[in-house]
Amino acid sequence: MLIKVPSVANLGLETIKVDVEVNLASRGLPGFDIVGLADKAVAESKDRVRTAIISSEIEFPQKKITVNMAPADVPKEGSTYDLPIAVGILSSVVNFTIPEKSLFLGELSFDGSLRHTKGAFLMALFAKEFGFENLFVPKDSANEAAAIKGLKVFPVESLTQICQHFTGQKDIEPVKYKPVLESSWDKAEFDMKEILGQEQAKRAMEIAAAGGHNLIMIGSPGSGKTMLARALPGILPPLNEDESLEVTKIFSASGDIPPGGSLVTRRQFRSPHHTASLVGLVGGGSKPHPGEISLAHRGVLFLDEFNEFPRSIMEAMRQPLEDGCLSISRAKQRVIYPADFMLVASANPCPCGYAMHPKKTCTCGPNQIAKYQKRISGPILDRIDLHIAVMPVDTTEFKDNQQNSEFLEASEKIKKRVILAREKQRTRFASEAIHSNSQMKNNQIKTYCKLSQDVEEILRQASLKFNLSARSYMKMIKVARTIADLDNSEEIAVNHMAEALQYKPKNYESA
Amino acid sequence: MEIKFGEIEVSDKKYPKVLKEAFKKLQQSLGPKKLYYKGNWSNEIFANCLAVVGSRHLTTYGRKATEQLITPIASAGVTIVSGFMYGGDEAAHSATVRCKGRTIAVMPCGINRIHPANQVKLYNEILEKDGLIISEYEGDIQPQTFTYIQRDRIVAGLCKAVLVTEAALNSGSLITAGYAKKFGKKIFALPGQITSEVSKGTLKLIKEGAEAVSEAKDILDFYKMNPTDRLPMSNGFSEAKGVKTIFGSKGLEQKIFEQLKRESMKADEMARLFSVPVAELGTILTIMQLKGFINQEGDKYFIN
Repeated sequence: MLIKVPSVANLGLETIKVDVEVNLASRGLPGFDIVGLADKAVAESKDRVRTAIISSEIEFPQKKITVNMAPADVPKEGSTYDLPIAVGILSSVVNFTIPEKSLFLGELSFDGSLRHTKGAFLMALFAKEFGFENLFVPKDSANEAAAIKGLKVFPVESLTQICQHFTGQKDIEPVKYKPVLESSWDKAEFDMKEILGQEQAKRAMEIAAAGGHNLIMIGSPGSGKTMLARALPGILPPLNEDESLEVTKIFSASGDIPPGGSLVTRRQFRSPHHTASLVGLVGGGSKPHPGEISLAHRGVLFLDEFNEFPRSIMEAMRQPLEDGCLSISRAKQRVIYPADFMLVASANPCPCGYAMHPKKTCTCGPNQIAKYQKRISGPILDRIDLHIAVMPVDTTEFKDNQQNSEFLEASEKIKKRVILAREKQRTRFASEAIHSNSQMKNNQIKTYCKLSQDVEEILRQASLKFNLSARSYMKMIKVARTIADLDNSEEIAVNHMAEALQYKPKNYESA
Repeated sequence: MEIKFGEIEVSDKKYPKVLKEAFKKLQQSLGPKKLYYKGNWSNEIFANCLAVVGSRHLTTYGRKATEQLITPIASAGVTIVSGFMYGGDEAAHSATVRCKGRTIAVMPCGINRIHPANQVKLYNEILEKDGLIISEYEGDIQPQTFTYIQRDRIVAGLCKAVLVTEAALNSGSLITAGYAKKFGKKIFALPGQITSEVSKGTLKLIKEGAEAVSEAKDILDFYKMNPTDRLPMSNGFSEAKGVKTIFGSKGLEQKIFEQLKRESMKADEMARLFSVPVAELGTILTIMQLKGFINQEGDKYFIN
């Protein structure tokens, strides 16, 4: 008896259909084999399926069972095929037919219940595209799959339940999608109003958030660089629908959606430590897995102690910074993961950290400082639009009312301005493939950033005086465009350009 | 350019007289027996020497003051002697080279070594501007802790007076000043803020009788020289053309200017002081920079 149960395989962000063919032969010695390029986790599913069926008080057939997964040349991985295999066996034992246009996915537990399994969202996208209607997934993974409208997603709790459903004893109700308010780990740790002083740095954060510009902070230890960065998520605009789908896809592929989770709606803030491996950061592995930079897609990648990151990692980030995606090629497969993130880096000015400190003396020689600063790859620095110095704040300098948190602007208020500025950019770039000022290429800058004579003159003077490179020149225009957007101005005015020049690359050697 | 080099024995006629005499007061045998050199050795270069030494961690104030003082002095024909270390020494050499003055660098290492190596450009400029590189060590011997101190005694010995720009307590600059005292040379010191770590040494020297310097004339008078007219220095930038004052910012520009005259400040501090949004302040600061009124170093702004 041959039964076909449709399921899917996720290769990176692509999904292909996999037919799980279960054959129960009455002739031959009883046994259980899986063929079709299955990895270890799939091969082990034999034991999970057998035990789960027995625990569900259903007799396990004493027949020669062979499972084939077609197409046989695509590598299958993970525990997602437990449910289709079990359903295939059960359909012969309990005697039910598998409804058409259905897909199955899920990992079994020994007691016959189903566990949260990664990839349910990707499967739902696939189902929508290729006209499947019924999805059978573990209950914990049902909500993310239900985010795609027009599908019946059946939350399966156990094998017993699914048998009852198919034999018509008791139907499973398809789930309705419920957006989950994201848990507190996703929220900004600090509000901008909690940060005293650092006015210029905060303003730079606002500009970065509004235009998606990359930003680097240089300053002594304890000056508040990390705190500023951690406050950044609080002023980022929420993801729009398309962006949310993109991010959720990556999260579904990496298995980072929590049980019962829904679409990712917040911009991500990832802060990998500098000991992270190359593969962990940019993605890869023999079966290419998305790295931190892809998980930071449409969000923020915060690299603290930037000059401690190995050169190889910095260089590997060049392509994603330029193209917004990363293609990982392996002998067996090639995967493209999107990685369009905003890079926020922080670094000390010198090995001892006190080169610019107002009180402490730096003990580093110029050679050491030069060497230390050279650790940051030049091409990467070239791709950073905003450069700011962050110095420790002496709270005794503040007037009373300036210490009062009422006086300081709250993240919520800044966020409103940022959202408006992003809105302007969205309309501007409606016909382009980009969505923020930071992504403009040179020809787009020429189209969208017309400079008046006065503004051009300022920029020309500045590039002479400050020795700006051609690339910096273009970056200044992009930053000025964002400042003008924040100011709700169509034109880039003199004051916008003048402010943008405050964030030009600086030389930090002398205090 | 072909660089001349050679060595001068203590018995040689060309051996600098001031150095010989300096060690007479101490003990003749302590002086360097042999000097290796690069550049054009002439007795006239040693006629009027001023040693300028300062902390390796020179502040912006120290750098500015060095430049302001050294430019007229070097232009008047005084040879500036220093130790080629980064920081204070480098500032003195650079300021001299920039106004086409002559300077002598006394190295703490072998004559063929450039230390610190990243100052290669300055090294070549010194030679181009008819200056001298001197060392009492041959070949490319590495500098050692003691060779720095040995070097200091030559710096002090070669000149008529020593100017200490900035020095912490227990610093090499104070060792040079100490030698100068033993040799009976005049000591000038640049007064600084009492809160600054690198002014503590100079203030100590002033308390002990060194002369406080506030203008180049203080030193030129000692050398009985007049500032020449051949100052290439341009004080005060010409206003950049085409940079317009932003409407309504004139008053704030004035306020910023007045404030920076008193002390250098960060943008954040000024924003708080004047209660202006930092975005607006940044705009004005850029305009003022372009006009050439102010300058930025590190994260602080200064009057030009």
